Order: sequence, then C-alpha cells, then structure tokens
Amino acid sequence: MQSNAALEYDYSVAKLFVYTTIAFGFVGMLIGTLIASQLAFPELNYLFGEYGTFSRLRPLHTNVIIYGFTLSGIWAAFYYSAQRVLKVSMAESKFVMFLGKLHFVLYMIAAVSMVVTLLLGITANKEYAQMEWPLDLLIVVIWVVWGLAMFALIGIRREKALYISMWYYIACFLGVAMLYLFNNMEVPTYFTSGGLGSIMHSVSMYAGTNDALVQWWWGHNAVAFVFTVPIIALIYYFLPKESGQAVYSYKLSLLSFWGLMFVYLWAGSHHLLWSTVPDWMQTMGSIFSVVLILPSWGSAINMLLTMKGEWNQLTENPLIKFMVLASTFYMLSTLEGPIQAIKSVNAIAHFTDWIPGHVHDGVLGWVAFMIMAALFHMAPRMFKREIYSKKLIEAQFWIQTTAVVLYFTSMWIAGITQGMMWRAVDEYGNLMYSFIDTVTVLHPYYAIRALSGVLYLTGFVMFAYNMIKTMTSSREISEEPQFRSPMA
Amino acid sequence: MNALIGKALAFAAVLIVATIVVVKQMNIDLSDPINLLTMIGAIAIAVLSAGVSAKYISQMKTDTASGELAEENWDGIGEYKNELPAGWAYSFLGTIIWALWYWQFGYPVNAYSQIGEWNQETKEYNQKFEAMHKNADKATLQQMGESIYLVQCAPCHGTTGDGNNGQAQDFTKRMAKDQVLAVINNGQNQLGYPMGAMPPGMASGKDAEDIAAYVAGGMKGEQPAAFAACASCHGADGKGNGGMAPNIAEYDATLMNHTLQNGKKGIIGRMPAFKTTITPIQEKALTEYIQSLSN
Amino acid sequence: MFHWLEKRPFFFAVGVFLVIAFAGLIEILPNFAEAARPVEGLRPYTVLELAGKEIYKKDNCIACHSQLIRPFKAETDRYGQYSLSGEYAYDRPFLWGSKRTGPDLHRVGNYRTTEWHENHMLNPPAVVPGSIMPAYKHMFTNKADIETAYAEAVTVKNVFNTPYGDDIQPGKEAFEKHFKSVVLPEAQKIAADMKNQDVKDAVAKGEIPEIVAMIAYLNSLGDSRYAAKK
Ligand code: HEC
Ligand code: HEC
Ligand code: HEC
Ligand code: HEM
Ligand code: HEM
Ligand SMILES: [Ca+2]
Ligand SMILES: [Ca+2]
Ligand SMILES: [Cu+2]
Repeated sequence: MQSNAALEYDYSVAKLFVYTTIAFGFVGMLIGTLIASQLAFPELNYLFGEYGTFSRLRPLHTNVIIYGFTLSGIWAAFYYSAQRVLKVSMAESKFVMFLGKLHFVLYMIAAVSMVVTLLLGITANKEYAQMEWPLDLLIVVIWVVWGLAMFALIGIRREKALYISMWYYIACFLGVAMLYLFNNMEVPTYFTSGGLGSIMHSVSMYAGTNDALVQWWWGHNAVAFVFTVPIIALIYYFLPKESGQAVYSYKLSLLSFWGLMFVYLWAGSHHLLWSTVPDWMQTMGSIFSVVLILPSWGSAINMLLTMKGEWNQLTENPLIKFMVLASTFYMLSTLEGPIQAIKSVNAIAHFTDWIPGHVHDGVLGWVAFMIMAALFHMAPRMFKREIYSKKLIEAQFWIQTTAVVLYFTSMWIAGITQGMMWRAVDEYGNLMYSFIDTVTVLHPYYAIRALSGVLYLTGFVMFAYNMIKTMTSSREISEEPQFRSPMA
Repeated sequence: MNALIGKALAFAAVLIVATIVVVKQMNIDLSDPINLLTMIGAIAIAVLSAGVSAKYISQMKTDTASGELAEENWDGIGEYKNELPAGWAYSFLGTIIWALWYWQFGYPVNAYSQIGEWNQETKEYNQKFEAMHKNADKATLQQMGESIYLVQCAPCHGTTGDGNNGQAQDFTKRMAKDQVLAVINNGQNQLGYPMGAMPPGMASGKDAEDIAAYVAGGMKGEQPAAFAACASCHGADGKGNGGMAPNIAEYDATLMNHTLQNGKKGIIGRMPAFKTTITPIQEKALTEYIQSLSN
Repeated sequence: MFHWLEKRPFFFAVGVFLVIAFAGLIEILPNFAEAARPVEGLRPYTVLELAGKEIYKKDNCIACHSQLIRPFKAETDRYGQYSLSGEYAYDRPFLWGSKRTGPDLHRVGNYRTTEWHENHMLNPPAVVPGSIMPAYKHMFTNKADIETAYAEAVTVKNVFNTPYGDDIQPGKEAFEKHFKSVVLPEAQKIAADMKNQDVKDAVAKGEIPEIVAMIAYLNSLGDSRYAAKK
C-alpha cells in the first residue's frame, strides 16, 4: 500500500556496530602490528610479561579482527542495508528492534569475554575456534538472535524478491551455524570428573585426524562464510549504490552464488594436504579449490564490469577506488589460494609465510577495504553529515594500498624462499640448511611486514579519525544523497 | 596492450624476478619438479591476477555500460540482464572438465598413495647417492659431515662445535678435566662397549687428579704412573684397545658409533640417541668432521 | 526456478543449506570410524604430560610449531618418520598447527632432552643463536594445573574409553592419591635432570612448576609413547 512512500529507516543498531567496527579494528590491527614486529624484533615479546608473547597475542589478533572487527562491520552493513533492500524499516517492528539490540548487547558480552579468556590463555586451541565452551554457548545464542532478526525482517519485507546481498547474508548465517556447531562439540571436564579442575576446560569430541577434518571443514569455511560470503553481500550493495550503476549481469550473480555454495565446502581439505587424512579426500580438496576460482572471480568480475565506462568515478571518488581495488585483491587471493591448494605447490607453501601472505591480501585488501568503504558510505546517511575529509580518504587509500602490497610481496618471497630452503639438499644429498638458517634469512622480510603493519594501522587511524569527525562535527546535510557520498 | 595492463604485468614481472633472485641466492635448485611447479604457480598467480583485473579495470575507461534492465529495483539498485562474459564461462567449464579428468583419469581417486610416493622417492634418492658416496674421499666426507652436523648436532654442540657455552660436549678437545674426574669417581656404563661397565674408583685423590689433567691435556707430556690403572682397558695410548673401551684420546669412529646408538648422559647433560635418523654413511661423514674440529 | 526461490526465503534457505551440507556428508562422515584407531603399542598421555599439553595450548605454541611430519624425504630427514593417523588417537584436540615459524615438534622427544629444553625455554637465543622464539620465563614460576589435567584424563577415560588404569577415577580423593603416587614421582624424575634450583625446590615441596609439565610433554613427543620403541 505505501510501498512507494519514502521510508524512515532506523539505524540505531547499525550505528552501534559501526562504533565497535572502529574500536575492534584499531585494537586488532594494533596487535597485528605488534606481533608482526615481534617476529622481526623478538625483544618486543617482553612488554607485558607472560601476556605479551607472540604466541599469546596471535589468537587475540585473529579473534579480535575476525569476530570483533569483521563481524561488527558485516552486521553494521547488514542492519543498514537489509532494511533498504527489503524496503522495511526496523522501526516498524518492535520485535526486530528488540532482537537487534539484544544481538548487540550479547555480542559485546561475548567479545569482552573472548578478549579476557584469550589473554589468560583459556583456549581450545583450534584455529578460529579458540573460545571455550561457555563462550560457544553464548555465540550460538547470538547467532540465533541474529538469524531471528534477519528472518523477522525478511518476513515483513515489502520487496518480494531477495536482492543478491540477502542471498549472501542468508548463506553466511546458515554456513556458520552448521559448521560452528559441529566443530565445537566438546565435553567440559569439570562435570565428568566429579568437580575437578577448571570449569572452563573441555576436550574435543573428536580426536586426531577426525578432529583435524572437522576443524578445517570449519576453518576453511570460516574463511568462506565470514571473510568471503558476507563481504560479497557488502560489495553487491555498496558498489552499485555508491556509483549509481546497475549490476552488470544477473546471470553472472546467479551462477557465481550457487557455484560458490556448492563448491566451497568441498575445498576444506586443502588445509590438510600431505597430512594423515586419506589421499582421496586431499585430492578432492585440491580439485575443488581449482574449480572454485571461477565462482569467486565471477562476483569480482561482475562488480568490475558494473563500473564499465565509469573511469571518472574511479579517479574522483575514493570510495570507488577502495571497492574496485577490493575486487582486485579478492581476485588475487582467490587465485593464489587455489594454486596453493595444488598438492605440489602446497608441499612448498604449507607451513610457510606464503600462507599469511595469501591471508592478508584477502583480509587487508578485500575484507578491510570493503568494510571501511561501507562505513564511509553509510556515515553521511546515518549521521546526516557529509564525510569530514576527502583528502584524508585519498591519503589513507594510498598508504594502505602500499601497506598491502608490502605485506603480500614480502611474505610471498619469504614463504617461497623458506619452503624451498626446507627442502634443499646439498650435493651429497643431505639437508642443506639447519632450521635456524631458514629463520634468520627471513629477518628483512619480517621487518618489511612490520613496516607494512605500521602503514596499514596509520591508515586505519586516519579512517577512524575521519569517521569520528564525520559523526560529530562535519557539515550537516539536509537530504539523503542518492548515490555518491558527499565529502568535504 | 593498453597502459594499465602493461603496468600491472610489469608489477607481476618485478615480483617474479625478485622471487627468483632471492631463491637463487640461497642456492635453490629450480629444476627440482616441486620447486619448478611452485614457481610456475607463482608466475600464474601474479600474471593472471594482475593481467585480468587490469583488463576489466581498463574497460572502465574504454567501454560503456549497456544492456536490458530487469524490472526489479532494490533501493535504487538495478540489474542488467547481460549474458555471462564468455571468457569466464568457458574457463568455468574448462576447470570442471579438468576436474573430472583429474579425478577419473589423472590421479584416479583411489589409485594414488602419498606414502607410496614417499617410498619411491626415497628409494630413488638413496640409489642415486649411494653410488656417489661409495668412493667419497676424506675431504668430501668432511664437507658432507659439516652440513649434517649443522642440521642435526649444532642445536646442542653449537655451530662451531665448541659445546655452546658448556651445554654439550666441546669438540675442540676430547674431554675436560672434570668430565674425566667424574667418570673416575662414578664409573660409567651406557655406551655399550664390549668391555661393559667401567667401575668407579679406579683411581683416587691426587692420582685421579693427575690422570684427569693428563687425559684432558690431550695425553701429552709425561704419563702419570697411575694411568696404568686405565691402560688395562683403554690402552697405554688411551685409544681404547681396539674398540674394547672408549677411545679417550680422540674422537674415533667407534666412539661415534657407540654415542649415536646409545646417547649419553654425563656431567654436562644428556645426549639423545640417534639410532634411526643417522645413516652409516652420514655417521662416517660426521666422524670425519668432528675429528677435524679437534685438530 | 531461481526467480521462484528468490521470492521464497524459506525455500531459498533450505536450498542453500542442502547445497552446502552435501559436501560434508560425503567427505567427512565416512572416514570417522577408521581414523580414530590408535597405532599399536601407543599409550595415552600421563597426567603430567596432559598438564604439559595444557600449557602448550595455553601459551599457544601451535602459533609457531606444527606436529605433523609430511611424507617428504626432506622432512623425514629433518624430523624423523612421517606421522601416522593412529599416532593422534589420543590427541584432543589435534595439534598439527598450520604454520612453522619454528620447527616441527611431533618427534622432538627423540632428539632433544630435558636439559636442553630447560636451557631453551628459558632463553632460546642462548641455545640457538638467532632464534626468534620468545623466552618462557614465567613457566619456571607458574604452577601447573595438574587437577584440570587429571579431570581431562578422567573425562577421556569415561567418555571416550581411552585406556587409562583403574586409579584414574572421578573425585578429589582419587586425584590426591594419583598425584602423590604417580604425578609427583614423574615430576621428580624430570626435576632431577634440571639445574634450576627454584624448580627443584618447588618439586621437593610437592609443587609442580609449569616447565616440568611442559618438558614432560615435549619428551613424550616421539618414541617414548610406544611401549616397544623406547
Ligand atoms: C675395567 C675396564 C676399565 C678401566 C680399568 C678403566 N676404564 Fe674407563 N671406561 C671403560 C669402559 C667400558 C667405558 C665405557 C663405559 C660406558 O659404556 O659408558 C669407559 C669410559 C671411560 C670414559 C668416558 C669416555 C666417554 O667418552 O664417555 C673415560 C673418560 C674413562 N673411561 C677414563 C678412564 C680412566 C681415566 C681410567 C683410569 C683411572 C679408566 N677409564 C679405567 C673401561 C675401563
Ligand atoms: C639434545 C642435544 C644434543 C644433540 C642434538 C647432539 N648432542 Fe652430542 N652431546 C650432547 C651432550 C649434552 C653431550 C655431553 C654428554 C656428557 O658427557 O655430559 C654430548 C656428547 C657428544 C659426544 C661425546 C661423547 C663422549 O662419549 O665423549 C659426541 C661424539 C657427540 N655428542 C656427537 C654428537 C653428534 C654427531 C650429534 C649429531 C648427530 C650430536 N652429538 C647431537 C648433546 C647433544
Ligand atoms: C615466535 C615463534 C615461536 C613460538 C611462539 C614458540 N616457538 Fe619454539 N621455536 C621457534 C623457532 C624459530 C625455533 C627454532 C630456533 C630455536 O630452536 O630456538 C623454535 C624451536 C623450538 C624447539 C626446538 C625444536 C628443535 O627441533 O630444535 C622446541 C622444543 C620449541 N621451540 C618449543 C616451543 C614451545 C613449547 C613453545 C610454546 C610454549 C614454543 N616453542 C613457542 C619459534 C617459536
Ligand atoms: C578460491 C578461494 C580460495 C582458496 C581455494 C583458498 C585456498 C587456501 C589454501 C590452499 C590455504 C593454505 C592452506 C595451508 O597450506 O595451510 C589457504 C589459507 C588461508 N586462506 Fe585461502 N583460499 C581462498 C580464498 C581466500 C580468501 C578470499 C581469504 C580471505 C579473505 C582466504 C583466507 C585464508 C586464510 C585466513 C587462510 C589461513 C588458514 C590457516 O590458518 O591455516 N582465502 N587458503
Ligand atoms: C595492521 C594490519 C595487520 C598486520 C600487521 C597483521 C599481522 C599479522 C601477523 C604478523 C600474523 C601472524 C602470521 C604468522 O603467524 O606468521 C597475522 C595473522 C592473521 N591475521 Fe593479520 N594483520 C593485520 C591485519 C589483519 C586484518 C585486517 C585481518 C582480517 C580482517 C587479519 C587476519 C589475520 C588472520 C586470519 C591471521 C591468521 C593467518 C594464518 O593463521 O595463517 N589481519 N596477522
Ligand atoms: Ca570452542
Ligand atoms: Ca593458521
Ligand atoms: Cu581454505
């Protein structure tokens, strides 16, 4: 009935997540820069006693950045854009509003507990699933609350067909739910031992090779359903919206989506190549990883083609720059990953710095770029002010781009060199290098990576400053901009 | 080729060249199949990502958006009903066909075994080097020994063999005085020599001191009379009586063999046994190398 | 069909779920029964070793160390026999790791010793010049949480049939008994090989510093967990 009337969207929940995106992003990247520096300059391990070693801080970096920064960013964008593509305001349903706020409050409790427990060394020690069982339970609740909020909002939507971004949000919700549950099956030891020891402690339901399988089924798909799927949701909304261009091809969106959904899960065993999981499973992981290139590139290409003929937007609008470069880095990491998944290449790449290199061209160049661009796009519309400084965004863009390039090139060279040195034999057929030789040779690359961290962090501080200024003191605007975000 | 693609490919080329220069500096053999494949993989990543993304980005300059719009519209976002980009569609099809081939014919899923491959690799490897090692001369063995030493032994004995500040045996000399004294006082039974155990108390007091100083001094100068007590087992020259007891004058092949087989716990600490990791030829090479350290 | 789905969120979600669940069903589940069997002669970790494993987890050594020797000649030369699935049957969680900033440790017990670890954990570059591994000085003063390790042993015995002896039973009393008769003597043996006087004193008093449990665990990685191979 009122489907064409202008709607007042309610951004109160989205705003909360915007604040935490900025806060967790800063903390996570600060720790990232610190741990990068520790590998170059080990004396830095002793700044905070037992809590400051590389090993204690590393999971803090990954968890704060994944479950703090990335999820906050995704949810900020979700609570902002879902209303808009479904054409329904959260304010129309008290229930949805309640769920959204509950979602945020529970999430904050979980995030703080996560930081505290990891610092104390309370960890299940599975990568990207470090949190112990009480936190797992809380996370399940949070996830369910988010799911309810999403489907409740979908339930009262005015726009019948789901926009592409919604497909990806739904997939993110389902994928994480399924895998998280399986991977965190654990038995708390306190209750089974007659009340002995720590109440936080648990043992995994699976042992050894089985545990590895379940873990990397999750681990790979944490990448898929946190770093990829919802970020695609972001780019499908924010790039067309910011540029005013129509999405290049529905067909391409469609094939990429269903292709990705089908293929992604098979590829998990590429984290277990040459391990003790059966050969056939490894082969499957390898094959499907290569097939995965195309559904991944499909989304990126779709976005790049959406900008066809819009060169002037690329040069004039720094937000477009971020998003176009994000697509490019997405292409880089989704080609690099599959090639590292080829068994012969993995024989070198696995266990080396080439993997963190691959990780960070994805996370720095794709995930964080998209999240920052999304926040910039939302800010004028949420806070009704223009973006504080375009110059600052431009500078931030170049500093951070330099940082990503330094990160992945240094780790690329470091990883390939180290991997080949481990295998190298001398003319007599004996190992050519002792392990420590392969460590000391990496020093310059670790130093470059630390520098790249400092640069990226500097860029992030510029971003945070720009956002805070935008929220508080930049010029007010009376009307919501259709497309391009206004900036001073 | 337009400028953007050119620049992107130039960047890829710089990265590849830098990688090759660095690994070459580490004496890496790029003709090794695994290394070669990895390098090809790296080149593919750099060239394809840079080239293809630059191609699409340059279309922003040269092309214009067109197509038929779908009826729907979400928050102002439209959708074209354009066809799939042909290159993308054919590549997708291509990888699917490749996957089926690989799975059914290339490496049929149940026919490949990585352990089988290891066995094969190791066998070929050993054959290749056995022939070469057969006639290895002293200098070759010594060099070979050094590289094994640096990988396996240096973490304890130090890169120069000086025992790393007293954390393990110092190879620049045979034994230190307190080591000898400790054995005289406590006896020793762990190396598995034919003579079996050495009982404690073969000498004491000043005699023991003198003997220890003499042995630690490299058995040079005048032999203390009390050394006779030792000579019965270790020989008057201390060289172990043809392998019946340890050679306490120098590191000989028998001592190396007994140490590597059994490990050793002494006053410095414990050394683990290296029963399976060190092959006979490597042991020979290590002996040559360690002997060269004390000369 | 897709247009139809896109207008029906429920069916859309079901469709997505089926498509993503499919791979797991085929790939993961069938292997479960087989891979859980231990290799012959393998014993479970002792309680002291489990406590060490907890410290390995707490201090997150997995950030830098793998425990998986791949079947390559270069790797078996460096670390020993390639790893077998059945060797991990008592590893909950598995600790293969995904990054080797430091060397693999799956068989480190075969070629390093208590004395060596003591020096190394206290100050790695003093033992291996150029090492970038952090020093873990706090392990020499913090006390190991033996009770939680014992709770873990009880749990895996009762829930997963891990073959522990009859003395591993729930409850405080059984724990105290096991501690005195098994855990402490094992710790004393390790402390006897160590130099650090504070550690020796603590163990003499019946306390177990983390480093002792840590070393017990590191020494267990390799042949000493096989009755036959020792
Ligand atoms: C009964 C025979 C016997 C006599 C006498 C004897 N030794 Fe020994 N010695 C041995 C044997 C056998 C070993 C090897 C013990 C083992 O397996 O650890 C040995 C080991 C040693 C070692 C340690 C070598 C190493 O590399 O670990 C030293 C030093 C040594 N003897 C010095 C002496 C001195 C000095 C005397 C005289 C005071 C002496 N021995 C008398 C039989 C003897
Ligand atoms: C984990 C540490 C460690 C490693 C690795 C190690 N050693 Fe040792 N080694 C020791 C210690 C400690 C001693 C001194 C024992 C004592 O007498 O107190 C020793 C002693 C020796 C001795 C003297 C034995 C004797 O009886 O006098 C030889 C020879 C030796 N090592 C050779 C080697 C070789 C060859 C390798 C490498 C294949 C090697 N070691 C690896 C720790 C180690
Ligand atoms: C910042 C990375 C890092 C962390 C964290 C780390 N290590 Fe290491 N580790 C290394 C490096 C590099 C080496 C090789 C140089 C050396 O031996 O010190 C090494 C070597 C070792 C070795 C010797 C292995 C061998 O074959 O010589 C052991 C044992 C070890 N570490 C145990 C641990 C334990 C236990 C922890 C956790 C409490 C730990 N490490 C944490 C980097 C690390
Ligand atoms: C086609 C898509 C991709 C494939 C096939 C792929 C493949 C791989 C492979 C083979 C590894 C290394 C496993 C190892 O040897 O240790 C890996 C690691 C990783 N990748 Fe990707 N990758 C893809 C895309 C991405 C993207 C887009 C991101 C992030 C934005 C990403 C993040 C990661 C992370 C975080 C790891 C590290 C996992 C660990 O902790 O070991 N990947 N990937
Ligand atoms: C200032 C920027 C950053 C720096 C300097 C940095 C640095 C690091 C370092 C040093 C590591 C450990 C690598 C190793 O163990 O060798 C790491 C791991 C990781 N980082 Fe970052 N990081 C940064 C930003 C990010 C961001 C923004 C994300 C995600 C959005 C991220 C995700 C990860 C992940 C997933 C890993 C684990 C990789 C693996 O296990 O292979 N990082 N980072
Ligand atoms: Ca958990
Ligand atoms: Ca990892
Ligand atoms: Cu993966």
